[in-house]
Amino acid sequence: MVQATGILIARPRPGLRRGRALFSLYPLLVLGLALFVVYPLGMLLAQAVQADGRLSAGTVLGLLRESYYRAVLLNTLLLGVSVAGLGTVLATGYAYAMTRVAMPGKKFFHFVALLPTISPPILMALSLILLYGRRGLITNGLLGLQSTLLYGFWGLTAAQVLAYFPFAYLLLLNLFRGLDASLEEAAWTMGAHPGKILTTVTLPLLIPGLASAVLLLFSYSFADLGNPLLLGGDYPVLAAQIYLTIIGLYDMPRGAALALILLFPVTLVFFAHKRLAERAAFASIGGRASSMRHPQFRHPAVRIGGLLFCGGVCLLILLQYATVLGGAVTRLFGINHTLTLKHFASALTASRDALVDTIGLAAAASAVSGVAGLLIAYFVARSRVPGRGALDFVASLPLAIPGTVVGLGFAIAFNRPPFLLTGTALIIVAAFVVRSIPYSIRSGVAALRQVDVSLDEASTSMGATSFQTLWRVILPLLRPAVLAGMIFTFTRSVTTLSAVIFVVSPHWALVTPTILSQMDRGDVGEAAALSVVLIVLVLLVIHGVPRLLGRDWREGTAA
Amino acid sequence: MSTGTAKALELRGLRKAYRLPGGRSVPAVRDFSLRVEPGEFVTLLGPSGSGKTTVLRTLAGLEEPDAGEILLDGVPLTPLPPHQRHIGLVFQNYALFPHLTVFENVAYSLRIRRTPDVRIRDEVEAALKTLGLEELASRLPGQLSGGQQQRVALARALVMHPDLLLFDEPLSNLDAKLRFQVRSELRRLQKRLGITALYVTHDQAEAMSLSDRIAVMRDGRVEQVGTPEAIYARPATLFVADFIGRVNILPGRVVDRGGSGVTVEALDRRWNVAADRCPGAAGEVLVLLRPEAVGLTEAGQGDLAGTVEELEYRGDQTEYRIQIGGVHVVVVESSPRRTRRIVEGDRVGLRVFEDTLHILPAQREG
Repeated sequence: MVQATGILIARPRPGLRRGRALFSLYPLLVLGLALFVVYPLGMLLAQAVQADGRLSAGTVLGLLRESYYRAVLLNTLLLGVSVAGLGTVLATGYAYAMTRVAMPGKKFFHFVALLPTISPPILMALSLILLYGRRGLITNGLLGLQSTLLYGFWGLTAAQVLAYFPFAYLLLLNLFRGLDASLEEAAWTMGAHPGKILTTVTLPLLIPGLASAVLLLFSYSFADLGNPLLLGGDYPVLAAQIYLTIIGLYDMPRGAALALILLFPVTLVFFAHKRLAERAAFASIGGRASSMRHPQFRHPAVRIGGLLFCGGVCLLILLQYATVLGGAVTRLFGINHTLTLKHFASALTASRDALVDTIGLAAAASAVSGVAGLLIAYFVARSRVPGRGALDFVASLPLAIPGTVVGLGFAIAFNRPPFLLTGTALIIVAAFVVRSIPYSIRSGVAALRQVDVSLDEASTSMGATSFQTLWRVILPLLRPAVLAGMIFTFTRSVTTLSAVIFVVSPHWALVTPTILSQMDRGDVGEAAALSVVLIVLVLLVIHGVPRLLGRDWREGTAA
Repeated sequence: MSTGTAKALELRGLRKAYRLPGGRSVPAVRDFSLRVEPGEFVTLLGPSGSGKTTVLRTLAGLEEPDAGEILLDGVPLTPLPPHQRHIGLVFQNYALFPHLTVFENVAYSLRIRRTPDVRIRDEVEAALKTLGLEELASRLPGQLSGGQQQRVALARALVMHPDLLLFDEPLSNLDAKLRFQVRSELRRLQKRLGITALYVTHDQAEAMSLSDRIAVMRDGRVEQVGTPEAIYARPATLFVADFIGRVNILPGRVVDRGGSGVTVEALDRRWNVAADRCPGAAGEVLVLLRPEAVGLTEAGQGDLAGTVEELEYRGDQTEYRIQIGGVHVVVVESSPRRTRRIVEGDRVGLRVFEDTLHILPAQREG
């Protein structure tokens, strides 16, 4: 017995010895995350909680004592709650109709609902201003009103619901699809009509999912910067206040303290959302699911209701896009509707640098995020390296942090030695990567869980190093997931505003801040044209790149 | 608890095809007709993909048939949505609502129909008692064993006093021992309550032990309907013979026809087969010989002589593969009560129970 144990111990452990090439990258990832996630957050925190060179909560508490900032906080909360409630109702109805009602046009409805998820959120502000602003087509042109409710709570709610409800829709769509179909069928055979099934079985089972959607929308609304800057009016909210404090007053400590106040509830809500989302996914596993084909209700009233609802929501979304397109091809939307291409010409000449820089930097970020995301996913899901849990946590942290806070952290941390990066391309790429790598990791881990470990073991037992296993066995199987992650990074990078607004520089212009400043100057035509170009570009990448790369990159786990 | 008068079910010319994403359509049920008498227990038995579950789901209203009629005591069901059909369905995975207690699961159909609370309590308690679940009323489904979940699913279907009770492989998620026990309980309960029942399974033992009649399905059609005895002893087609139990299929030739049957030649010997066991047989035929319809004897005795090529000992039974003049015959015997063990290579005699022979025409299966 003793001898046998001795033999076992003396045997080399192939998994550890062969993995050196790959594992040498591990410290690199740790350093990268430390530099671009931990360090900026630390610097932001340090900036916020020091006064006169000493540690103090004075700035934060001082802000909270001012009634103005308390009002700002209350405004932000109220807006978040309204957007979360309204958006979840919309998303629930939409996901229900898409999964349970037999109606035509589902592909179209799905496509339209996804448009806002690939557009810069400020697009909604832009179109709402064109339609309902002081010179808006509807408010001024059709109704002849001089004033408008747009600038403030109502406009912000409308813009954010339209911009963010699709994210909740996507979340709920998966949950509606994941529910065990036989539960609803059982209720149906026991005498419940479609409405009763929804209220007694479907919705009660989806409560964790609904709560998770509410929290998701709440944190998106809380973190949104673009819409409040354009539509805020006399309704100040936190994210916009941070921007104005930094850019207008150049008061870094105050800005950092405000960022901390923003960060706290968002992080809290985010982790609550994460826990609920896990429970929601869990609730759908009820024994062995008999069939995943859910009842498709055919009752005429249900079908007409579903069509009217989805059609109405689609019309609302399309109206915004049509308006932006209209703004892009007319001289001055709302006043002079002569067709013109001059805005597009200007978007492609005056804003050419911004476009080229954005595409180049976003592409670079996609590559980095794809590779680093896959590596981290591999370490998290497949290895036993110490600290991989912490690595995963730190890399996923940016999910919980509003873009404004990330951007401000970068601005504070990299504006001084030892890491003077302001004005470089690196800081922008890093901001893009930090914002998107959590998604690359999640999609990589999810895809890796689908690949049986025995494949790794077979490869290793045949003498492959862990690098060879990753390259020759895992990567080919994960290609769709990696590509999906990279396209997501690209989309998110070219449409984000909050994360980059503090780190753009004259050397490296980006599209979304350019749109914002054009709006500020009143060049709505140019802003609209540039937005259209950006959306077309994203659509081309999303639909074109997988097609160009061929079948191997499209099939399988790509979501 | 008991139901009102049981109802007769009639299915006429049912058809259903599934459309695949590519636009192709795959027929699942083609021209399916069946009549189930009031209070009768009929099983749809067939391999997976034979369309039996589709028939069941069409009855419940969960699928719409492309053509055909469903009549319950002469009343057409097809225009009605599932919630107006009053048909109980026990799902393969039980489909218990995970957010409701056992009591509330069983009470569900009564609450939907706005039954007064007092009556709900009485009815649910009666249903739980029938199935021995009184103790579990306040549990959630997640806290029950598979067998208990199965009972709750049954109680939930019974409490609505359905006109028709449907079962979709309800025992397939239970372990072998429990399946055996629940099987006999199920049969007793259905007999006592007298509900018309349609049961779907691919397990022939389940079908045999539960059913008044069995409808064997293949490729969306009924291959044969009959009592378990009729299906086993007098299969109408080679498919039925092969699917139900095991069978030796021997080439043969009809050499003589008499009033009481035919004489057939197979294994170099002549056999007399009764008239009801050789429907329309003439010329080249297939002779079906069940493995248990042969007994082994000492070499030189019996009807046939052969050599044991292989044997498999299974405890209660022993299976022999015996070569008889170039033809292999499988014989299954209850484990021998004889003293001398037979070993591979032994010469043996075989006694065939001639009455059990069954004859089918020799055409190829289409």
